[in-house]
Amino acid sequence: MQSTNWVPLFPEQASTFAWQVDLLYFYLIIVSIAFTIPVAAAIFFFAIKYRETEKFATPEEMHGSMVLETVWSIIPFVISMTIFLGGAIVFFNQFTPPEGAMNVYVVGKQWMWKLQHETGQREINELHIPVGRKVKLTMTTEDVLHDFSIPAFRTKADVVPGRYTYLWFEATKPGKYHLFCAEYCGLNHSGMGGYVYVMEQRDFDNWLSGSVSGQTPVEAGRDLFENKLGCASCHAGGPTQRGAMLEGIYNHEVKLVGGATVTADDQYIRNSILNPSSQIVEGFQPIMPTFKGQVTEEQLNSLVAYIKSLTPDAAAAASSVPTANTSNTAAPAGNTAAKPSANSNR
Amino acid sequence: MNAENVISSGYGGSKLNYITNGSTLKSWLLTKDHKRIAIMYLISVSGFFLMGGLYAATIRLELLTPASDLLESGTYNKVFTQHGILMIFFFLIPSIPAVLGNFLLPIMIGAKDLALPRINLLSLYFYWIGGGMTLFALMQGGIDTGWTFYTPYSTTFSNSFVMLVGLGIFVNGFSSILTGLNFIVTIHTMRAPGMTWFRMPLFVWAHYATSLVMILGTPVIAITILLLALERLGGVGIFDPAIGGDPILFQHLFWFYSHPAVYIMILPGMGVISELISNFSRKKIFGYEFIAFSSIAIAVFGFLVWGHHMFVSGQSIYAGLVFSFLTMVVAVPSAIKMFNWTATMYKGSVSYDTPMLYAIGFMGLFLIGGLTGLFLGAMGLVVHLTDTYFVVAHFHYVMVGGQVIAYLGGIHYWWPKMTGRMYSEFWGKISAMLVFVGFNLTFFPQFILGYQGMPRRYASYPEEFQVLNIFSTAGASVLGIGLLMPAVYLMHSLFFGRPAGDNPWMHPGLEWRTSSPPPTENFEVMPVVTWEAYEFGEESGMDIEAARRREAVIT
Amino acid sequence: MSAHYSDKFVYHEPGLQHQFDDMGQQEESVAIGMWMFLVQEIMFFGGLFTAYLVFRSKYPMAFAAGSNHLDAFWGGLNTIVLIVSSLTMALTVYYAQKGNRNMQVILILLTMFFGAVFLGVKAIEYTSKYNDGLVPIAGLNKKVKADPAAAHLPEKPCYEVEHGEADEHHYVNPRGEFQWKDCSLVKLAQDGNYLTEAEKIGYFSNDGSGAPQIDAEKFRDKVLIFYWIYFVMTGLHALHMIIGLGLMAWLLWTAWRGYYSGDYYMPVEMSGLYWHFVDIVWIFLFPLLYLLGRHFMH
Repeated sequence: MQSTNWVPLFPEQASTFAWQVDLLYFYLIIVSIAFTIPVAAAIFFFAIKYRETEKFATPEEMHGSMVLETVWSIIPFVISMTIFLGGAIVFFNQFTPPEGAMNVYVVGKQWMWKLQHETGQREINELHIPVGRKVKLTMTTEDVLHDFSIPAFRTKADVVPGRYTYLWFEATKPGKYHLFCAEYCGLNHSGMGGYVYVMEQRDFDNWLSGSVSGQTPVEAGRDLFENKLGCASCHAGGPTQRGAMLEGIYNHEVKLVGGATVTADDQYIRNSILNPSSQIVEGFQPIMPTFKGQVTEEQLNSLVAYIKSLTPDAAAAASSVPTANTSNTAAPAGNTAAKPSANSNR
Repeated sequence: MNAENVISSGYGGSKLNYITNGSTLKSWLLTKDHKRIAIMYLISVSGFFLMGGLYAATIRLELLTPASDLLESGTYNKVFTQHGILMIFFFLIPSIPAVLGNFLLPIMIGAKDLALPRINLLSLYFYWIGGGMTLFALMQGGIDTGWTFYTPYSTTFSNSFVMLVGLGIFVNGFSSILTGLNFIVTIHTMRAPGMTWFRMPLFVWAHYATSLVMILGTPVIAITILLLALERLGGVGIFDPAIGGDPILFQHLFWFYSHPAVYIMILPGMGVISELISNFSRKKIFGYEFIAFSSIAIAVFGFLVWGHHMFVSGQSIYAGLVFSFLTMVVAVPSAIKMFNWTATMYKGSVSYDTPMLYAIGFMGLFLIGGLTGLFLGAMGLVVHLTDTYFVVAHFHYVMVGGQVIAYLGGIHYWWPKMTGRMYSEFWGKISAMLVFVGFNLTFFPQFILGYQGMPRRYASYPEEFQVLNIFSTAGASVLGIGLLMPAVYLMHSLFFGRPAGDNPWMHPGLEWRTSSPPPTENFEVMPVVTWEAYEFGEESGMDIEAARRREAVIT
Repeated sequence: MSAHYSDKFVYHEPGLQHQFDDMGQQEESVAIGMWMFLVQEIMFFGGLFTAYLVFRSKYPMAFAAGSNHLDAFWGGLNTIVLIVSSLTMALTVYYAQKGNRNMQVILILLTMFFGAVFLGVKAIEYTSKYNDGLVPIAGLNKKVKADPAAAHLPEKPCYEVEHGEADEHHYVNPRGEFQWKDCSLVKLAQDGNYLTEAEKIGYFSNDGSGAPQIDAEKFRDKVLIFYWIYFVMTGLHALHMIIGLGLMAWLLWTAWRGYYSGDYYMPVEMSGLYWHFVDIVWIFLFPLLYLLGRHFMH
């Protein structure tokens, strides 16, 4: 994105109708200047030219002028009509979904975006799209109002419980763009967002087929933890912490609500991600949403690897092979991901 | 108090004025005198303004850095919600009508009091009860729904004191309704002999238009908030999407009031500015009828544009088109006012007293506020701009740059009438300029932030927005000092200010023809109006030579 | 402050407030004030009527079903009671103008009596809703424990429940929740293609077998919306009636003391305006809630 050492006046133009919105914006700025300068100049000119020369003077009386009133009623009206028409045309482009667009389904939820591609890939707080393809979002929410907003594309739309709303765009430039929730939705409203990745078609195809990167599982896990899944928004320290700190817990005993204790091994971590409310650590609220169906088994393994790496002596303590996949019937059969154990000492 | 009676046809001259006429607590709390009620409103409204201002300062401090480090986001949400609720419902809406309107409207039309003085007192008590409930809720833990109370967050998901605050606003709404009702009745029936409709000051016209909005709009928000409270109480209701209810219906009902409500806030401000520009140019206002009827036009059209708050909420494109068109239409009467004010200064005799500085500041800021309103009425653009800081900046340009500055200008202008004392002109000018500079520094960067896409109501934001946020916070500190200064020198003037005399500005209006402060019944004898509004010459019976002599003695 | 003021205004007409010059001005002010208050009231109820219209057009069948369960007899009786009370109120104003104290007192008492009858009937209706589990707020209905004797009887699907049939054996409501077991209307309407799009989404569930099934719970929710609006509207109307009765009590006291005459009867006329307004609201509520669509599909 933009560098931080200068003040950008405009966000990047990255969709087909971004230039139209910007054009309308420039037109309105010109109209504003064309009104402001003469009026401000007149105010200053009159204030100086006709300044008081004698206390309580009574300058010549002046009544209104029908001609002037008519002129300065009609001119703003005509100009405002051009603005109205321009705005209406751009709006029509923004909200008339095209034929043959690539469909993405969006579900808003306090405080994350859950997206799914037509081909089945799920994403959280991220959207990967190819450049130059029309994309149509079909959106709803599980709880309160949200608003899917991408400033670089100059578009947004509210997401309303109980009904579907739609948004479409065609990205024109590869890059990484902010995704915001623009409708106030409660506690972590400002944390509900992420990035839209616009990729070349080839990269997008690669991404779709799953070979996203050459990251090690710990790196991939950190990426998932801090960015993609947003675990860090609750599990990192600081004012927004609402979940347990995960540093140094691996293979240590944790106390659960109800008094039981359990060893935080791979199985426990995995279970906590998929069924968070089944084993709540003492002192925390059962607020974590389930990630079942949102993380692939690969990602799950990477996460376990990353959380393990937060415990310095985990390498020694956890030399045994984790049993995550074998003991969970929900795991897909053909999972050939690298075992976390292989990377636990990185 | 009456240093020198400079008006040959003055109606004042009483031994007792409304302040000295009775000093017990009861004589204040059970008064039927519109002036005492206005003073009690002034004190209460100032308290709410101070609280709202402290919340605003907290918001700006938090936004100094991208992370949510000063406040956690839960607290931040409460802070901006409470800032909005206190400022809008307990300051912006009541301030000019209930303080300046209450005090001046009957005097300006030559009445002894408002037509329904007990109703007026009742409105003050509604305001206090509503305000008290809200303050109690804030002390219990506050509210975090945003001042817009959007469902279903406010009905089902928020764990804060929505019901109590809602009921507070419900009760407070009746204060607004009763004030509006009283003004309409008073303007219809209480005008002095000779005070025809087109001799009324434009301040009174503006209040007439405002009162129409108060009576037609406020009941709708009252029932909406009541439904919201009932829905929270019962755990079920018509805004609940889980049973097939409609959360968008809430937005329609809410904005049906809350858009006209911004005209409740700004129209009286425009009335004040009409008085100030005319007085300090010493010239009859240009296009009197056009300003008067543009107020009424704004009030009427204001009821037809609520949907422009909902362009991206899923309403149909065609509904959007109609609302966008009407929004553009509403811009025209505001433009007419702007041009007429400017034309009033032409060939006038312009002096730069503190109220005039505020009035000129108003014209500049309202110009920007109004024009950026066009940005937000153009549908294609508003999709990008809505829910960003552009909206925040626009709203504050109209509300602070418009309403608050007009209110301060009005308070300064009529301070000698209300208290009989003159404030320090030197400090007044300094504070007016600080407010202007501080305000622009605070809110202009937010337009740019908005176009960059920074969403509103964010406790933390991406780093690239920080530079402009620092500007904004720096400006806010200047603005804060500028706004605190009047509190000091106005209080000081109460005890040490020089006596102002009955008509320090030599204005022909009726409020300047009684003593300062006015007697309880406003006029010793029933005034008879024989002059047009804003006739500054000797023919309206003012002894201008005597005033000049007095002025020469002072300076 | 009044001491200061009365120095100059010695003569006061009876009932003239200090801020007015003469009775004409006072009467005009009070009348305009009252009309403005009524305008305010219209907008207040207007918000509710808007909500009613929105949901009626969205879910007409649920509203017809709910409407059908309201007792038009009691509603009709109340309408007549209120119209008669409007007559007695108008006559009160007439006799106040005539300065006839006895007739005023009698007619105010009659008006109060009709007002009380209205509220009594409303109480009867509310009680029957309480007994039938039709109060929208959970826990505010009569709690009915399961009847062990009827437990073995099979429960019918909702669209086979005879319309208006009270199935006392199966009526179980241990937590006092809102209950609605009858969606026979939807079944009928479905065959005739009467349903709106919103209703098709609102009343049916797709269990995966292909044909959408009437979902008793989803239909119940829409009827609940009807009853929510019914209770809010009639409840606020009843509140206005109670305030009206308070006004009448004050009027009775002052009329008894002989305050009103041909010169001064403004309070009577204004209270009358209020009373008529409350009646008129009911004149709208009765057909909208009790009658509209009542016999559709029956």
